[in-house]
Amino acid sequence: MADAATTGHDHEQRSFFTRWFMSTNHKDIGILYLFTAGAVGLISVAFTVYMRMELMQPGVQFMCAEGARFLGGFSGEECTPNGHLWNVMITYHGILMMFFVVIPALFGGFGNYFMPLMIGAPDMAFPRLNNLSYWMYVAGVSLGVASMLAPGGNGQLGSGVGWVLYAPLSTLEAGVSMDFAIFAVHVSGASSILGAINIITTFLNMRAPGMTLHKTPLFPWSIFITAWLILLSLPVLAGAITMLLTDRNFGTGFFNPELGGDPLLYQHLLWFFGHPEVYMIILPGFGIISHVIATFSRKPIFGYLPMVYAMVAIGALGFVVWAHHMYTSGLTLNQQAYFMIATMVIAVPTGIKVFSWIATMWQGSITFETPMLFAIGFLFVFTVGGVTGIVLSQAGIDRVYHDTYYVVAHFHYVMSLGAVFALFAGIYYWIGKMSGRQYPEFWGKVHFWTFFIGANVTFFPQHFLGRQGMPRRYIDYPDAFALWNYVSSIGAFISFASFLLFIGIVFYTIRAGKKIENNAYWGEHAETLEWTLPNPPPEHTFEELPTPDMWDKQPGH
Amino acid sequence: MPVGITRFDEGAPEEFGALSHGTHGVPRLHLVIRPHQSLTPPGFVWFIGLTAGLMALPLLMALGRPALWGLLPFFLGAIAAIWWGLQRSWRDRDLREDLVIWEGWMRLTHKAPRKAPQIWEANPYWVRLRRIPKGAKVPDYLTLKAEGREVEIGAFLSPAERRSLHALLEREMLPATGPAP
Repeated sequence: MADAATTGHDHEQRSFFTRWFMSTNHKDIGILYLFTAGAVGLISVAFTVYMRMELMQPGVQFMCAEGARFLGGFSGEECTPNGHLWNVMITYHGILMMFFVVIPALFGGFGNYFMPLMIGAPDMAFPRLNNLSYWMYVAGVSLGVASMLAPGGNGQLGSGVGWVLYAPLSTLEAGVSMDFAIFAVHVSGASSILGAINIITTFLNMRAPGMTLHKTPLFPWSIFITAWLILLSLPVLAGAITMLLTDRNFGTGFFNPELGGDPLLYQHLLWFFGHPEVYMIILPGFGIISHVIATFSRKPIFGYLPMVYAMVAIGALGFVVWAHHMYTSGLTLNQQAYFMIATMVIAVPTGIKVFSWIATMWQGSITFETPMLFAIGFLFVFTVGGVTGIVLSQAGIDRVYHDTYYVVAHFHYVMSLGAVFALFAGIYYWIGKMSGRQYPEFWGKVHFWTFFIGANVTFFPQHFLGRQGMPRRYIDYPDAFALWNYVSSIGAFISFASFLLFIGIVFYTIRAGKKIENNAYWGEHAETLEWTLPNPPPEHTFEELPTPDMWDKQPGH
Repeated sequence: MPVGITRFDEGAPEEFGALSHGTHGVPRLHLVIRPHQSLTPPGFVWFIGLTAGLMALPLLMALGRPALWGLLPFFLGAIAAIWWGLQRSWRDRDLREDLVIWEGWMRLTHKAPRKAPQIWEANPYWVRLRRIPKGAKVPDYLTLKAEGREVEIGAFLSPAERRSLHALLEREMLPATGPAP
């Protein structure tokens, strides 16, 4: 080891199998995460299209007991409703999106690829553990899909208990499907915890010389806080679903009142994990949006330190507000008052972030390339979702809106639209860096406008449905709700078309996009370390640690 | 700067006795070269402390119920895992090279994690110091060669640091006064 090796170590080209199946390289694993999450996302989005087809008109036309119909359902002949199929759709849409799409894409994909680059680390702290995390995620996806196809309740396939797996519904669901779902969440949780340990260690111990915590860029910060939230809250979920598993199979009674258990305890545990989960989904998006807005406003981000501490505060507050999901479950008045106030306090750090983004744009030299459009779209949808969040945080008002489409609209605006707009902003921002080829700007803009219009037409009318009192998780509804359901379905079809266009754009870019030679192709205000590297970056980066003059462009920060 | 320099002609430091050499007496220079790590020991304590504190919160909820025993193993497991991860990351980078130069003798000790230390010794008069700007393991690769054995020094530093180390060694390996004994 100490003996000199002057020959160098140029190793030969890796084969396809070695590169993508045995990869320990953080950039390759990041790309694997992005593509896998994209594929699972397509499945999960296909479910929503099927659900919106069903909800397009009153009555049941597609999900029939006689067999599921697809395009044949448009002819409108009557059929016997198959509620189980509907429940399976909403359950797996939720499970796949929460555990297998957004977090793997933002945290696993962009986190793996860009966090080490931005802090100037040569790779993750534990490259082989990283490979294990990815393949455990794939195993989790397989178990999730297997669960959908395994014998479940009502003598049919799959479980229809909702993604929250509430006891006693989940403990009483027949068949092995529910057990598969629990294992899927277990495996994906283990994968996330291993990934979080890897990312925390990398962030804490492998930042470039001179990069103190108060100089680390916002995206690595957001990934670090996400990892910390995962580390703190996933053990709760793991414990809760393990108890579900033993309640189902080994006769324990953690959540069974007849045996001295408490079904409400499951809800507390689930939401103690579930609320931080929401922030795990959106925080990496905050990081991406900060960089995109600063780059295209041609200004440094406004208020760097408040931005960092706002993320820390959002992460911390996320742990003390969980029961606002449970106002109707019989909490005492004092508990409700506490959770209501604590929930409203989250608006303060969130406001700091939104106003800082706006202040970054203020008097900037803004150009509207696709990533910037998605970032501004993010600001809009996230603010809409945040405002309805304040409405829902009121325990009294929540009694009216609980389990209505108002809640559905709220969390889709914050989580799904917020996170997905940030995800698309990140993809358009970095696809040139990752692939070496630039996306077609015109089609990127077409994608943005169709998606922005489609998503808002889908979810905005759901506020109206909620105010009319339409409950969520039902296959059918009275005629009074027909109009806005119809509009919402049209919006879903537009969004789905824009998603297909996006898939086309990605594959066109990878195969035939224009090659980009300029390392920092978004201009000099994209100044984090990944922009000092060629497009795409070589296999090994920063084996020689970067020096502060490469990244410390605003020494005042 | 991960290169620590102690000069022994500027007063007698604490490690005076430990580095004294039977035949060569008091060393002239002691260099300690370590790779960069950004996590400090107080940082480790803060992180583990905050993590354990935040994890105690949901345990309060389950206190006095059987569910406590369903949660506790996962919490302890998570704390143990991040504890192990941070410690392992420190150990993986626990490389250290000690270069001690006496009048007419020098010794390089290379300590890597989980391996026995490797020692190389020679008379600096006969040592050839080489800097290989390109084509070697790393840019500006630095080696010392004597008695038929060529060893590397500071391979984990940045190229600029290796260049200044090279200049320092060129200066310091010259005998202090007169020719080598």
